[in-house]
Amino acid sequence: MANNKKYSLAGFLWLWFALTVFGVILSVWGPGYLMPRSMSSSMHLTILTMVVFSVAAAPVAAGVYAALAYMLRHNIYRGDSVPPAAEVQTRENSRLTIGWVLISTVLTVFLLVWGLGALSVENSGAQANPLVVNVTGQQWVWSFAYAGTHVQSNTLVLPVNREVVFHITSKDVTHGFWIANMGVQVDANSGAVTEIHTTPDKLGTFDIRCTQFCGLNHAFMVTTGQVLTTQGFDNWLAAQPQRA
Amino acid sequence: MYRSKSVVTALVSVLLGGAALALAGFALASNAPHQKSLQCVADATMANSCNLSLNTYGDSLAGQHGPTGGAHPDWVSYSNQNLSVPANTTVNITINQYDSGGALNNAFFDQVMGTVGGTATFNGVALTHVDPNNIGHTFTLRGIPGSGSHIFVSVPLPADSKGGVVKIGAGVYTAPNVIKFSFKTGSKGVYEWNCEFPCGGSREGQFGQAMSTFGYMSGTLTVN
Repeated sequence: MANNKKYSLAGFLWLWFALTVFGVILSVWGPGYLMPRSMSSSMHLTILTMVVFSVAAAPVAAGVYAALAYMLRHNIYRGDSVPPAAEVQTRENSRLTIGWVLISTVLTVFLLVWGLGALSVENSGAQANPLVVNVTGQQWVWSFAYAGTHVQSNTLVLPVNREVVFHITSKDVTHGFWIANMGVQVDANSGAVTEIHTTPDKLGTFDIRCTQFCGLNHAFMVTTGQVLTTQGFDNWLAAQPQRA
Repeated sequence: MYRSKSVVTALVSVLLGGAALALAGFALASNAPHQKSLQCVADATMANSCNLSLNTYGDSLAGQHGPTGGAHPDWVSYSNQNLSVPANTTVNITINQYDSGGALNNAFFDQVMGTVGGTATFNGVALTHVDPNNIGHTFTLRGIPGSGSHIFVSVPLPADSKGGVVKIGAGVYTAPNVIKFSFKTGSKGVYEWNCEFPCGGSREGQFGQAMSTFGYMSGTLTVN
């Protein structure tokens, strides 16, 4: 009887280990593949955070699935009558309880510290000479005004490797300003200006979407953006009509 | 035996439920109001060009809602909502703006954007922008990135022509401001247009009622 239980526990542990390895591989590979292509420092941090959190969660999820599989394999009663009481009933296991609580606490504290650190990086002050873009959402169009110029546009054009500070507001209901490729997502609220910053570090195009259901044509509240070289951005800016 | 019967019963229930939902969806879609598209009429004087004419009113008595104005006769409206134009064509639009107005809440929309030459004619005068404090409505058109060609056209429609009174259908209006502009279509696709002047009332930003209901101040432009 004792040998049989030991063998079963070993099977459970091996299954847990195998599922953990699978989960860790999936956690490392998945976010970078499934999430939008990173085009900014903020998105790098977002993907890294997703990887770290997923890796930390992998052994927990693997433990649950392994326990479930273990129970389904060994503890299913198939008779028609009420099953007899087990010969040995385990109601308390101090070592297991303490270990589980300890591991959960360590994991939770680690995630909390990591999250606060990531938030601190995201909320740190703007660097010198950032590009300030005033973003306005209204049903159902985004418009972008470049501070220090008279340029306004319905598409967002940014220079590479220069910090951008977005000042975001709404003219009517709440909208959600979301640039998936840059890890930027913040509400645009009427009567308030919300600030968020990022640094584009890849050339290319991206979409800007509204993430708050904002009315009839919410689905059409999408526009495009582009990250250009510094020279390309300066040329674009100079070519735009200047409002008086 | 008992277990397999239960499984079959559950399966049949799920299938019947799914079929009922599909049937309800089909019935709703079939009974949804479908307004005819306004077709762009080929311009006899210019190749690859067609003409569309629209009106904007301060109520719904003269457009597609009929002489009674439909469910909301006092709501502002465009004369047509669904527009149909050919691909790779210059579309010439004339809008007769019969409504009053006020100040834009975002001066961005006082500009003429996305038109041929970057201008529109306002009662015969070509301009790139107009007074943001005297706007009746806007015609603002765009598509979804990735579907069809990228189009963004926005033209402000000034308010108050100070002209004489005209009667159209059951509605009585002041003589219109006449705004003309052209833009080029690209590949096939469905685009959305709406007014960006806060003329709807009721909700925050005046974007409720006519601004938030199909059939009044928004519609589709189908490029085919």
